[in-house]
Amino acid sequence: MKYLYALILYASLLAPVYAVQVAYSVRSTEIKSLPFSDAATIATLDEKAKVNILLRQGGWVKINSGKDNGWVRMLSLRSDSTAKKAGDSGLISLLNVGRSGSSGITTTTGIRGLSEEDLKNAKPNPEELEKLEKYAVNKTKAEKFAREAKLKSQPLDYLPSSVNP
Amino acid sequence: MKRGGEGMLKHTLIFLGISLLCSIPAHAFDFDLQKVIDIAKKTQQANKGIDEPEEIEIGRGIASNLLGASPLMADDKVQQYVNQVGRWVSLHTERPDLPWQFGVLESTDVNAFATPGGTIFITQGLLLKLNNESELAGVLAHEMVHVLRKHHLAALQKSARMDIASELASEALKNKADPAILNKAIKAGTEVYARGLDKNDEFEADRMGIVIATRAGYDPFGLPAVLQMLEASNAQDSSLALMFKTHPAPHDRLSLLDKEMGDRFDTYPTPSQTDKRFISEVPQHL
Repeated sequence: MKYLYALILYASLLAPVYAVQVAYSVRSTEIKSLPFSDAATIATLDEKAKVNILLRQGGWVKINSGKDNGWVRMLSLRSDSTAKKAGDSGLISLLNVGRSGSSGITTTTGIRGLSEEDLKNAKPNPEELEKLEKYAVNKTKAEKFAREAKLKSQPLDYLPSSVNP
Repeated sequence: MKRGGEGMLKHTLIFLGISLLCSIPAHAFDFDLQKVIDIAKKTQQANKGIDEPEEIEIGRGIASNLLGASPLMADDKVQQYVNQVGRWVSLHTERPDLPWQFGVLESTDVNAFATPGGTIFITQGLLLKLNNESELAGVLAHEMVHVLRKHHLAALQKSARMDIASELASEALKNKADPAILNKAIKAGTEVYARGLDKNDEFEADRMGIVIATRAGYDPFGLPAVLQMLEASNAQDSSLALMFKTHPAPHDRLSLLDKEMGDRFDTYPTPSQTDKRFISEVPQHL
């Protein structure tokens, strides 16, 4: 029994923890039975449908739409409502910064030191810089680190930009 | 290249000459030609690149300032881990021989920074929000693009500090740059971090960062997953204030990646052996 508990505890430590997260579809999209584009289509998710995200695997997320359980492309979902105009969230945060004043952000918990004002007034810290330089690793060590987790290099070209010039 | 440069100089001179002819009354025609040539040369130099040793030197100064704002997290294990992930990813860029180094800042703010020449910082606040090594690789790769594309140097040169930029360019021709000029550049450079980069630089860092992380064998969707996490975060949280102020909205960044990535990344398997070490090396929620 003790081992069973230990096993369950171990498994729960290994499994990435994803709190149930609400998201909205930005377009009509197919719900697949498995996280592959050629998997069977279970249903079609309407644009702006609200779903619960259960799990992510690569570019796919497992969702519950209320009616169906299945996999959709991760980038077909946004966590804010798509009813909002693009850029709203950024604007809201900007307004908030403006309201509280750039230096008046309340810091109740934790160690901050990286507000706009802090950065403008920052003084050099050569001791920490020296420490930082000691942590640097060479190519050989980095390659060994990659091999240990079976990470393999693969060639890939950069993507064309979709930003309008 | 050189020929084109001389052509440019000639054009600038002709332009300056014509402007002066038009604006100065005939009796004041004794303008100093040497002065005009000097201005034209300076303007031309300012638009030229800062050389690599200078880039690294400015970056070290900015890194020292950022460390002045927040020291390193006192945890050798996590610092070494982040350096190994980062150095491996950096080998998949066009500048694998830069002195790349990585640091986890003690700050609970959620943010990451890159300084010219290859120093990358991630805050403890952001690191603890990540779920796996691919997400970390994605964040570091995004920052590396700012170094590769020299976004901060461009911001420094574009800003009102043209005087510094042109001084730097002329210093680059000497063996050793004047420390006073470098210090001016470092101070102005640090201010860029409070202001943020151009939003297209951020979009470019996303688009190229994804490719770099994928080349290193990581899940291409590591960075998009971090952006979705940020999108779902409470925008009123003060620990996100600077990051949100200095970056385009996560929603917009995801929309562009959606278009750019399409279904091209369907065939890349996610690494299966990095999760265990991420969990053991990164202290969870201190």
